[in-house]
Amino acid sequence: MAYSDKVIDHYENPRNVGKFDAQAPDIGTGMVGAPACGDVMRLQIKVNEQGIIEDAKFKTYGCGSAIASSSLATEWMKGKTLEEAETIKNTQLAEELALPPVKIHCSVLAEDAIKAAVRDYRAKKGLL
Amino acid sequence: MGKPCYFALFDLQPSFELDRDQLATKYRELARETHPDRFAAESDQRQREAVERSADLNEAYQTLRNPTSRARYLLSLDGTELPLEATVQDTEFLFQQLQWREELEALQDGADMDGIASFKARLTQAQNELHDAFSSAWADTTRRPDTERLVRRMQFLDKLAAQVRQLEERLDD
Repeated sequence: MAYSDKVIDHYENPRNVGKFDAQAPDIGTGMVGAPACGDVMRLQIKVNEQGIIEDAKFKTYGCGSAIASSSLATEWMKGKTLEEAETIKNTQLAEELALPPVKIHCSVLAEDAIKAAVRDYRAKKGLL
Repeated sequence: MGKPCYFALFDLQPSFELDRDQLATKYRELARETHPDRFAAESDQRQREAVERSADLNEAYQTLRNPTSRARYLLSLDGTELPLEATVQDTEFLFQQLQWREELEALQDGADMDGIASFKARLTQAQNELHDAFSSAWADTTRRPDTERLVRRMQFLDKLAAQVRQLEERLDD
């Protein structure tokens, strides 16, 4: 399959790969998986006292589209509030990366990871 | 007319535990009977039917032979088509899966054959445990949600097992 240059760029030079201490109070962790392809994704956010996402990291085991989607998601989340981050849609990620239709579900995984990370952070802070 | 039940095709009861020898024996028997070559002298219509029957038979055999697709097929007989595209948030399990994939990556970087062999043994054991868990959950009709979660887990382990096989092949070269 032909991947777009953006996908290849994010795949070859993924941004923000790594991990934060999942137990730390200012970290939210989203763990999601796609049974169809066996992809596993961990996306974490570091949130400051103003409720702004200061930093984001991810680790994805999956195809190029899943890696590129999560890499782009971490880039977009930085500097956003939790509410803003939650509005990131998989369709926006897919459009930016020019994902082919059969790979759209990989970007869904990234959107779900964002939501899961935000929810984990709020649960820690008793904000749910 | 719908397709016949795969289990019935092989004279088996619909169940997760199955006699693999019986499945293989019956498959070979049916494959001989339905082989399209046997219908070479017949009408086009009959030949087409033979090709279709042969394809259905192969699909049935492959579905039942593999534990994950067998489990999925059982669920579908029961009226549940698992939406595998849907994201799962089986957190503890996924944390472990990420850890295993990291481990495999390290073994790959070190071309550690002994490490890969013991990793594979652990993976096989985990798959067997999942199969046992599915089998007992399946026997209890009140535990359908458990069976669905277990099938999804099987999918992840299958993927990992395929990666281990690929890695072994690469390192063999």
